[in-house]
Amino acid sequence: MLKKADINKFIAAVMNNGYKVFGPVKQEDGVSLSELKTTDDISFDYFNFILPPKRHFFPWSELLYKYKDKTIHEAPLPEDKTILLGIRPCDARSFSFLDNVFIDDKAVDPYYQNRRDNTIVISLACNQPLPSCFCTSVGGTPAGKEGTDILAYDTGDSLFFEECSERGSSFLKLYSKFFSTPDQADVQAVKDFIAKAEKQVLSVNIKNAAEKLKEKFYDSVWDKLSFRCLSCGVCTFFCPTCYCFGLYDERDRRIRVHDACMYKGFTLEASGHNPRPTQSERMRQRIMHKFLYTVENFGKIFCVGCGRCVTACPVNMDIRENIVEVIG
Amino acid sequence: MGGTESIENKLKDAVKDLFLKKKVDIVIGFEKGSLPLTSRPCFIRSSDMAERLVWNASCTNNLAVYLPRFFQKVPRAKKSGTPPPVVGIVAKGCDARSVVGLIKEKQILKENVVIIGMSCQGVIDRRKIESFIDGSFIAGGRQEPGGILEITTGVGDKKKIKVSDVLAESCIECQYPHVENADVRIDGESITASDDGYKAIKAFEEKSPEERWQYFTDEISRCIRCYACRQACPNCYCKVCFAEQTLPRWIGPGDELSDVMIYHIGRIFHQAGRCVECNACVRACPVGIDLRLFTRKLCMDVKELFGYIPGLSIEELPPLLRFELNDNNDFITTG
Amino acid sequence: MEEKKENNEPKIVAFLCNWCSYAGADLAGVSRFQYPANIRVIRIPCSGRINPLFIVKALQEGADGVLVSGCHPGDCHYISGNLAARRKFALLKNFLSYLGIEQDRVQFSWVSASEGNIFASLIKKVVDNIKKLPANKKLVRKRVGVQEYGWY
Repeated sequence: MLKKADINKFIAAVMNNGYKVFGPVKQEDGVSLSELKTTDDISFDYFNFILPPKRHFFPWSELLYKYKDKTIHEAPLPEDKTILLGIRPCDARSFSFLDNVFIDDKAVDPYYQNRRDNTIVISLACNQPLPSCFCTSVGGTPAGKEGTDILAYDTGDSLFFEECSERGSSFLKLYSKFFSTPDQADVQAVKDFIAKAEKQVLSVNIKNAAEKLKEKFYDSVWDKLSFRCLSCGVCTFFCPTCYCFGLYDERDRRIRVHDACMYKGFTLEASGHNPRPTQSERMRQRIMHKFLYTVENFGKIFCVGCGRCVTACPVNMDIRENIVEVIG
Repeated sequence: MGGTESIENKLKDAVKDLFLKKKVDIVIGFEKGSLPLTSRPCFIRSSDMAERLVWNASCTNNLAVYLPRFFQKVPRAKKSGTPPPVVGIVAKGCDARSVVGLIKEKQILKENVVIIGMSCQGVIDRRKIESFIDGSFIAGGRQEPGGILEITTGVGDKKKIKVSDVLAESCIECQYPHVENADVRIDGESITASDDGYKAIKAFEEKSPEERWQYFTDEISRCIRCYACRQACPNCYCKVCFAEQTLPRWIGPGDELSDVMIYHIGRIFHQAGRCVECNACVRACPVGIDLRLFTRKLCMDVKELFGYIPGLSIEELPPLLRFELNDNNDFITTG
Repeated sequence: MEEKKENNEPKIVAFLCNWCSYAGADLAGVSRFQYPANIRVIRIPCSGRINPLFIVKALQEGADGVLVSGCHPGDCHYISGNLAARRKFALLKNFLSYLGIEQDRVQFSWVSASEGNIFASLIKKVVDNIKKLPANKKLVRKRVGVQEYGWY
């Protein structure tokens, strides 16, 4: 247990040990995940961050190397020790998904891996799901432990810390002087807390989605679904598990930038041919990728149910409705 | 204000009537959205689907953005030679002006569009509502007669908010709420036209260049380059946008701030003499960049320098296709 | 004063129309009219060829100023290219200064083929105006070199 009043001391101690702490910082337009400059900036008055925290490990635009005088100068590996504080369990879960992609047996992305190795994720269990949330339908819970090192529960005036990984427990041991042992009432409070939050999450029936999607590749339902879509790509930029990127050469450097399957240019070939010529194929790709291809490749539905795509979409394309409509 | 339900019923009847008389093949309108207090575009293809239509203060989108795609050749064309469909569009004042713009720019066929002119009472701005309910979220909500929104907040409180208190900026400043060129008209009360004389723009002009640049930089640095502002805009129908062109590559794809700025300068500048101030770009922006302040400057200049207001007449040439020998010459440096 | 020192020799991109201003610059040259060497001339077929993005891009690539010069209104080789362009220029100049870019950073002018002396005095004036401004930093690409990263 950690009294909320003491969190400043805890974070100050962590920062003194050379960690960069990224946490919920109150800003003009809501709370966002940014670097804490002082411990006073922290605010627990938020539902979830507007932008997905994948940007922390897999930045929107990342320098890979530069070339000068016929030599290539690779970008150095990121070595900063960081703490991600206040990540919601759904987003923390997305980290474990991205690990599958970037830290594969055959190929490892060193930038991603280094950032991941140097970061301790302290997530904060969700006490107030939004109307757009559906984490329980895709295998998560408001207090999920996947992808996180330490999970905190906000029980009013104090935080209950639970270690979820070895790194998390060895980290907590270093700072044990800040914590008190929880009593029975606290444990009970946590249990109530989880049960209450779980009840509030909207449930979507996507049982056997992968099986059913296999038969829907040539279905006309995609045409109907995608008609409303503006192909703006907000859903992919806001998705914590979307990981597609493009490589671009700019003058003296090669950079890696997030890309979106919703764009026409994503699959456009140099010849002018486009294998996904209309929005219908692009929409199919996005949904199939999340609910079928990744199930085949990694055994997981690549959706954490954070609902960002639902709220951010300018025309209210709701992935919960879409998937139900497709699998019927 | 009030009576959205009766307007809604009138709208449904009108759309059914259009289908029965075989005057339209498809109608673009609004249906109930999946989140509380939202509506979203829907495509009505038969008279029995018309029951899905709704009309209230959350019908925010500019539906004209969907029109050009009915008249374009799609890469996977079904059959060549099929005539384009007759498309009905449920239009607010701003949507109808966008339709005029699209006809003028030859993106859609005038005789294939049926404008169902609504009496617009303005649309809500969700961000404003969220500020009204003290940082909670909208857990439920509906519109009651008399222009009142009943909102259930995340903590379970019920709150009543007047629609007029949470109107989008574009609706407060709306100069042309009436649909002038409607083929079918749904009568009802509507907001009154206001002309604030571009007060916000003039106030911004009063600031020092450094302050203005700082504001522009702060706003643009939040941009994540999803291009939703472009996609939501009815005017942005180009097949290849300058932002994605590769020959020449005008701007790089990364997070270089000057590239992002040039994207925005370019996009906004392309709206000169075309923007109908519908606010679609602002609503679409997921990070809430204040695009309106910049785009309206061009609207104001076009009005003041060339006396042109977009979307009012189909015949009048757009200002940048036209010129006069005695146009403003004051800005020219003389040797 | 520090800032001015930096900008003693500003780089100015001058887009000159082939038929009037470019010929005017030529005439200034053969007539031996002196003018500052700060301009980098780009010949364009007509001031109507100017895409506003050219101007913005010139600023991004580090130009301290941009000058666009064409035929006098009514004298365009293509009848009306400069008249159509004038509307664009008026909007662009207003818009860029609205965003906070200095008024004099982007300038427009009309110079005919016979006005060699006027061309020379125009360039003097433009260069003087731009010398008064600090070096262009606002719209310039931040990552021009390789120095900004410590690891290089």
